[in-house]
Amino acid sequence: MNSVGYAFEEAWVSLKRAGRSAAISVGTIAIAFVALGGFLLISVNVQRTIDGWLQSAELSVYLTDEATDEDRAALERYLQAQPVVVSVEYISKQRALERFRTDFPELTDVAASLADNPFPGSLEVRLRPGSAAADQADELETSVSGRPGVADVRYDRKWLERLLALVAGGRIAGAIVAGILMLGAAFTVAAVVRLSLHTRRDEIDIMQLVGAPFSFIRGPSVVEGLLIGGAGATLALILVWVLYVLLGRTLGTEATAMVGIGGMRFLGWSQTFLMLGSGLGVGAAAGALASRAVK
Amino acid sequence: MIETQGLGKTYGRGLYALRDLTLKVDKGEFVFLTGPSGAGKSTLLRLLLLQERPTEGDVIVGGRNLARLTRNEVQAYRRTVGFVFQDFKLITTKTIFENVSFALRVLGQPIEQQRRRTYQVLKWVGLQHRLNAFPEELSGGEQQRVAIARALVNEPHLILADEPTGNLDPDLSLEIMNLFRDINASGTTVVVATHDRELIKWVGRRVVQLEHGRLAGAEAAS
Repeated sequence: MNSVGYAFEEAWVSLKRAGRSAAISVGTIAIAFVALGGFLLISVNVQRTIDGWLQSAELSVYLTDEATDEDRAALERYLQAQPVVVSVEYISKQRALERFRTDFPELTDVAASLADNPFPGSLEVRLRPGSAAADQADELETSVSGRPGVADVRYDRKWLERLLALVAGGRIAGAIVAGILMLGAAFTVAAVVRLSLHTRRDEIDIMQLVGAPFSFIRGPSVVEGLLIGGAGATLALILVWVLYVLLGRTLGTEATAMVGIGGMRFLGWSQTFLMLGSGLGVGAAAGALASRAVK
Repeated sequence: MIETQGLGKTYGRGLYALRDLTLKVDKGEFVFLTGPSGAGKSTLLRLLLLQERPTEGDVIVGGRNLARLTRNEVQAYRRTVGFVFQDFKLITTKTIFENVSFALRVLGQPIEQQRRRTYQVLKWVGLQHRLNAFPEELSGGEQQRVAIARALVNEPHLILADEPTGNLDPDLSLEIMNLFRDINASGTTVVVATHDRELIKWVGRRVVQLEHGRLAGAEAAS
């Protein structure tokens, strides 16, 4: 039997012997990885939503009430001539009001109480997606602002980029929290492995005296950590999946459709493997660290 | 086989367990280490088994200076040495067969070879009928025979035994010493630490006497 087979066999026996403390260790790893998985789940979906919004980013050119049809036509021609522009759609003051009534039916009374239509006419400009187009859109925003009949220009991408920066900050904070939790979990795994090393002390003494290679002596501890970490990460993945189902139900399809994300998605293969790999890695590293007690 | 030069081992602040010990044991020799408690017998064996490192001097076994061995080399060296202790050091959760085959198993030997060799040595020590018994089900003499079988299973060049009869009655002690004599007859170097003068006289081999960590008696004079 080679050292790998021996290590798995001994680690399994040791885990069965450890019983409750091994279960606690798996639970601790799972808690740390639920935090990581939950953070990944939210981060991935928020990122996907923002990416979707970025793809359909629009430039809205609001017109003054005094803008003439000629001003509008000249503006449309100017915009359509720009390579970054995909299409230009005119939204009249009346259509803007109708949209408001459709989108916010509970505010219909407010809209009806107004003497004049407060919504400005606008040109909704669809832009080409991509980062190169973003720079051109910035230039377009500046050049359009000063043209006759233009009251204001709003460019979606700017606040989306601010949102992206916020998400990136959240991602770093989440990674730090997950890292700290994993470190704590690693210490728990190491404690359990140290405990089983103590239980196997006589066996280890004899292994050392008969000249067993260190792979045989330390292998079971590394595998024990690996199994605890793997089990913890797997349990965490199941819990994150439950969280995903519950979140999907809570948000509902209408809410997700309203923000344009077309429903939440579970972690992709890469994130799933990242979680499993991290669990196995953290566990094995903790086991290896604990096994260094064997000199 | 074994050569020590100016060997010393100190514990704490100047507490000498061994001091300036120069000794030679030839290949195939049977040597008793004797002396009162605290004379340094067990310390010398621990240094030979590399459970501890000397604080001064050299220990050379089979041409290798033990002080210079790396951790992995220490393990490789121990594969050439069999050990027997007074307290047997058997794993209580394993059967007799498993205790002996364990020494081969952790060296990664094929299962068939482990089984064959384990049965062979257990038969040699007369325990082939107790293969599935656990250590606690055996008498002290039988447990020590298991320990001897485990020491032999890897066909070592050197057997080190620290008070192997310390927990046994005189009849069993003679039985165990007979086993060591047989092992030595097959060419293996045997070093036995004991303070049992009757046993030493009965076996009648070279005696190295230690006192306060130094050589004493005839060895010191020569």
